[in-house]
Amino acid sequence: MISKLFLPIITALFLLAVLAHLGFFDWERLARGVRNMRILSAEMVPPDLTILPTAGAALWETVEMSFAGTLLGFLASLPLSILATRRLFSDWISRLARFVAAGIRTIPVLLWAIVFVILVGLGPLAGTFGIAAYTIGYLAKIYADLFEGTDPEIIEAVQSTGASKLQLVRFVIIPETANAILAQVLFMLEYNIRASSILGFVGAGGLGLIVQIYLQNLDYRRLATVLLLVLVIVLIMDGISAWLRRRFLLSTQAS
Amino acid sequence: MTDNGTAPIALNAEQVWFAYPQHDAVLRNVSLAIPAGKHTVIMGPSGTGKTTLLRVLAGILKPNRGRIAVFDQPMNGRGQRQLSPLIGYIPQQLGLVRNLTALDNVLMGALGRLGDTASLLGLFPKAEIDAAHAALKMMGIDHKSDAQVFHLSGGERQRVAIARTLLQRPRIVIADEFASDLDLAMAYEILDRIRDAAEQEKITFIMSMHRIGLARRFGDEVLALEGGTIVRGFIGNEILETAPEATVEATTL
Repeated sequence: MISKLFLPIITALFLLAVLAHLGFFDWERLARGVRNMRILSAEMVPPDLTILPTAGAALWETVEMSFAGTLLGFLASLPLSILATRRLFSDWISRLARFVAAGIRTIPVLLWAIVFVILVGLGPLAGTFGIAAYTIGYLAKIYADLFEGTDPEIIEAVQSTGASKLQLVRFVIIPETANAILAQVLFMLEYNIRASSILGFVGAGGLGLIVQIYLQNLDYRRLATVLLLVLVIVLIMDGISAWLRRRFLLSTQAS
Repeated sequence: MTDNGTAPIALNAEQVWFAYPQHDAVLRNVSLAIPAGKHTVIMGPSGTGKTTLLRVLAGILKPNRGRIAVFDQPMNGRGQRQLSPLIGYIPQQLGLVRNLTALDNVLMGALGRLGDTASLLGLFPKAEIDAAHAALKMMGIDHKSDAQVFHLSGGERQRVAIARTLLQRPRIVIADEFASDLDLAMAYEILDRIRDAAEQEKITFIMSMHRIGLARRFGDEVLALEGGTIVRGFIGNEILETAPEATVEATTL
């Protein structure tokens, strides 16, 4: 009995201690936060729609950056994830590939954007590369795990026809995992659209720049317009990916 | 070992031992000789290592001890690549790619003799596509060649798996628990088609089965595997009568 309760109790105590350290039990401060929330939301309505042309252009740039970045990252992640698949390559090659992917993933997308602003200058190109870099690190790991999960019987059966490694990837591993490959790209695209709306903070293009300006000027009615636009684009993305999933994924779910 | 010297030996195993890492031996001193052009059925209770034996014979698993020879050529880990086109292997779950069509799955049998460049683009020579259709026709399933495998029934999938192996043009086909989950009429039909195909293409078949009826119908020779070793070369009187040239050394530990 004691051993069963041990982990939950320790976890709860640790959580309480950490929250206390972070200032969670400063009731006065929390109450002030609730008051401020009321003021902030009052100052956000009605949203200032006169900035729609400016914000719309910035939003379009954000969408372009996320699409291009996600696709570039996806294409680059495929060879890396194949190298990282233990069943296909020797232990040290897959270890090295996994290490590279983990290294890329260690750096958050905002830091990648800063790196590419330094390398290729201010603007959406830096943001596109930043998104692509993070996407490589993330998808390479997910895909390598996915490829390793391919039914070994199918691989053995096709391998025994004398197929090469590349043929195995092309005819067994990718078709068998196609559903999950598509699902992960869509997830990454949604993630990147949200992430790229703040890359402008570091000068890497998109909505972030105007968000930063409105925040600094305490221009909450204009900020509200931008947030609404992001909400709309995320909803549209949800719709598109739901349609893609229905179109391409459900049809193969049988059996 | 009895050997009447008529048929050449397609597959020969001598004192083969196999254990998965950190486990007791699954195969204990298995010796057998499969005559070319015959149908050999391996029977035995589940968990006796039938699948393991077939995977060792197919060159997928490397025995810890003992020798395996394919048409008198020794098989080891290195030479496997050149021997593997000679041996077709059909796993218990068939190993078909569900998202691809029946035709695409059959074409995979030709991958071993095609270069990477064209095949990776999905371009197969017309001769191979014709041969794939012919193999599907031989198995009576050519009308479903454009259907994706996940739309096919169990029996249809078995036919596609055989057609893929036929396109490989192997000398030996090793199939694990083939036709085991089909109803008897369907199993008979498929097995008869396999016998016809094997005769045409001069293929030696090795199958594991657990239904005695199917084994009698299909096997020229039945080997029984028990406790990881071949205990006798026949089961029951009828099989004994139809398998006069039993070429198996009974090894008991």
